[in-house]
Amino acid sequence: MKRDLTVKIGRSVIGPRVLLVAAMSIAICGAGGAAAKDAAAGGLKDRTIGYVLTNKYWAIHQTPGAKTECPMGFNDGPREQFKLLFPDNGEKRTLLKTQLARESEVWFPTTSKEPYPFYEVTGGISIGMNLDGKVDDNDFTSPDGVEGIDNQLYRAIGCIANYRGPDGTLYHFTNKYYQQHNYNRVLIELTGVDSLTSDSDVTVTTYRGLDGLLADATGSDFMPGGSQRVDMRWGEEFIQKFNGKIVDGIVTTEAADLVLPQTAAFQDTTIQTIRGLRFQLKLTPDGAEGLMAGYTDVGGFYYQLNAAWSTHLQSYGQLSSPSLYRALHRLADGYPDPETGANTAISSALDVKFTQVFILHPSQEVAAKVRRQSNVALVQ
Amino acid sequence: MRPLRSMVNFIMIATLLAAIGTVARADSVQYLQSADNPTTEDFVRESMPPGFSVEATELEGPVFADSRSRTLYRWHLQSLRNGDTGDRRDGASACNGHIYRESSGLMSPYPAGLLLPELDKRLSCADVWPPVIATANSVPVGKWTIIKRENSSRQWAYDGYPLYTSILDRQRGDVFGGTRRREKSDAPAVREPVGPSPNIPPGFRVNTVASGRLLVGHEGYSIYFRDGDDSDRSNCDQACTRNWEPVLAPETAQAQGEWSIFERSPGIKQWAFRKKPLYTHTADQKFGSLVGSDVPGWHNVYTQRAPIPPEAFTVQDTRSGHVLADARGMTIYIYNCGDDALDQLACDHPDTTQVYRFAICGGGDPARCLRTWPPVLAPKDAKSESRSWSVMDIDPKTGHRAVPGQTDALRVWAFRDRPVYNFAGDRKPGDIAGDAWGEFYGNRNGFKAFWLRDDFRNNDE
Repeated sequence: MKRDLTVKIGRSVIGPRVLLVAAMSIAICGAGGAAAKDAAAGGLKDRTIGYVLTNKYWAIHQTPGAKTECPMGFNDGPREQFKLLFPDNGEKRTLLKTQLARESEVWFPTTSKEPYPFYEVTGGISIGMNLDGKVDDNDFTSPDGVEGIDNQLYRAIGCIANYRGPDGTLYHFTNKYYQQHNYNRVLIELTGVDSLTSDSDVTVTTYRGLDGLLADATGSDFMPGGSQRVDMRWGEEFIQKFNGKIVDGIVTTEAADLVLPQTAAFQDTTIQTIRGLRFQLKLTPDGAEGLMAGYTDVGGFYYQLNAAWSTHLQSYGQLSSPSLYRALHRLADGYPDPETGANTAISSALDVKFTQVFILHPSQEVAAKVRRQSNVALVQ
Repeated sequence: MRPLRSMVNFIMIATLLAAIGTVARADSVQYLQSADNPTTEDFVRESMPPGFSVEATELEGPVFADSRSRTLYRWHLQSLRNGDTGDRRDGASACNGHIYRESSGLMSPYPAGLLLPELDKRLSCADVWPPVIATANSVPVGKWTIIKRENSSRQWAYDGYPLYTSILDRQRGDVFGGTRRREKSDAPAVREPVGPSPNIPPGFRVNTVASGRLLVGHEGYSIYFRDGDDSDRSNCDQACTRNWEPVLAPETAQAQGEWSIFERSPGIKQWAFRKKPLYTHTADQKFGSLVGSDVPGWHNVYTQRAPIPPEAFTVQDTRSGHVLADARGMTIYIYNCGDDALDQLACDHPDTTQVYRFAICGGGDPARCLRTWPPVLAPKDAKSESRSWSVMDIDPKTGHRAVPGQTDALRVWAFRDRPVYNFAGDRKPGDIAGDAWGEFYGNRNGFKAFWLRDDFRNNDE
């Protein structure tokens, strides 16, 4: 029987050695160390500042009672569809033609006509970005009036309870697991930064980090000033460079493809691939907040959903993945397959929040290990 | 100045990556043990009833065996989504001669009462897991007790749990019926082999992982040794101990068997195993980590390693750790399956129903299954050096073993007596696009990559 040495603090579960790292950071701050000075100066050092992703949700514009975007209500999920197909009328059925047939459909979905009612989002408001530079009939307008917003993923998932906050299972747990598992640790490093409020040429580089988040006493927020080692061992596919600029404290970047690590309860080692992704983040010395928007790869999205969330868990929030598969393909609006012409990606946006961290590249790793060891001795 | 520093950093990173890649491929057997390596795990001797013995196994360390040398298993109570099933400690056996016809509904969201597949061939729990019967003259010894079965026969129990053998085991040391590896989330209520305690001092544990029987400390962190240490002297100096914490022995600790103690410095004692001083790695963040073995000269400690896979198999880097791969570098997958009857019988073996596998690997179509999840073909003259890896002939239409002389049979590699697979969606070495494919993340009816090492979990999946 394994002993669970993790400590639950609010929504965050933190391992013992991570706690030691946290304690170490506090100790450094108390001692007036270099990290504390940098944090006081806004974390910007050598024209570089790093952030770690702490909150990530698919951008879904919600009105009270969902009356505007989902006037017909929310979609049915696996349990509801099963009952429609196999009503409880006393008939004896085989597992092969019921459960296994349904699970087959999850793993071998089709784009045939949707056999169940499926409600797409209605209304014209959506969070997101104008990805294609055009304003057309399928586009939304942002809550603050920007036209041409491309977010067809919202149209597909906005009326599925699982994805809606704050109670949707996927909404809640995807973010919780993002915070909990180091596999998911996404870093951005801004380099060539003269000012956090204005700079015409900066570079944003993504990495995967290796360390836990520095939770505050509530467990739901995270403190700036921590450190993150870059994963150069396994994380190569998560490294991407974006050219950008900072205007009025908001960094925007050009588009590039990005792979994000995305595991859930950690039965899987899945990813999320977003084509032509760009950042739009309000920067502060302590954090960054805003949007990451691009075209999410439909095949990857669907596989990640089913590898990370069983039909059982999808049932919690009435999410039928075969129905969603059909919607994703109906609404996909980018990156057509050169052979079939069918779109392979769907416009989307992520609501994101980052906290400032000091990013340690491999050449600094030894120093980090030494500091951790010192901390071990201190705590003992 | 800045561009130069960036370039230096880039070169350092590139060099590191190149070195890592070389290590991963060139030293691909670092996890495993060759067939001619006689190392086995020592165990604590205890009194046993007449006829029972302890047998060495390749994957699970020492296990108890009956008078015919068949491995003994237990089926402890396990929590599933909608209830529990299995044997209660000090209770009766829940594995009887009843042939279940319907699903139990223990795994949501599907309702109970669905008719199970191939009912005409379905066996009872006691058919698949024959109870270990005690004679009228048998008497309890130590942890070995006797319980009464439903049919009034007497069954041996160990540590309060009824004992069974598996119809899959054919030879001394086979453990095809189950594993002691950590139960996976939402997996079936599985059986596990029962064995004596490993002969290790207090403060240590042995975990069964893909690469063998891994030694860890009482908290779960991995134990390491280093090249260059003597049996009675550590050469890990003050600078070294910043990263490698010596495993200290209490004042009252005694040397035993393969374990020794030496005085590291006056009054400070350190454990050694097989004449190697022991350490933990201060940078390990996860239990059961293999990260420390990346440092040249440092190694995880195993009581015994898992047997080496077929020749030409490779180890590949992924985004999370190392997977076992075929000669082309394509990831190897294992198929897992347990049904949802109360007795939770396995459906992952070619001798069991293939209905579940066909549903999840080909939408019910065996031909599509072969295209999507092809078994890993073995050369005609292929032989395995171990019992854990074998070659078997499979009927491509039924998924069962081929009949002798069947001309269209597929000769495939098998691990633990079950075929292993590739995934058609993997495009290049190191791809793991099929990992967690199937019901409940591939744990209940689906596929998992053959993970040798996962730095983000505990290497116990």
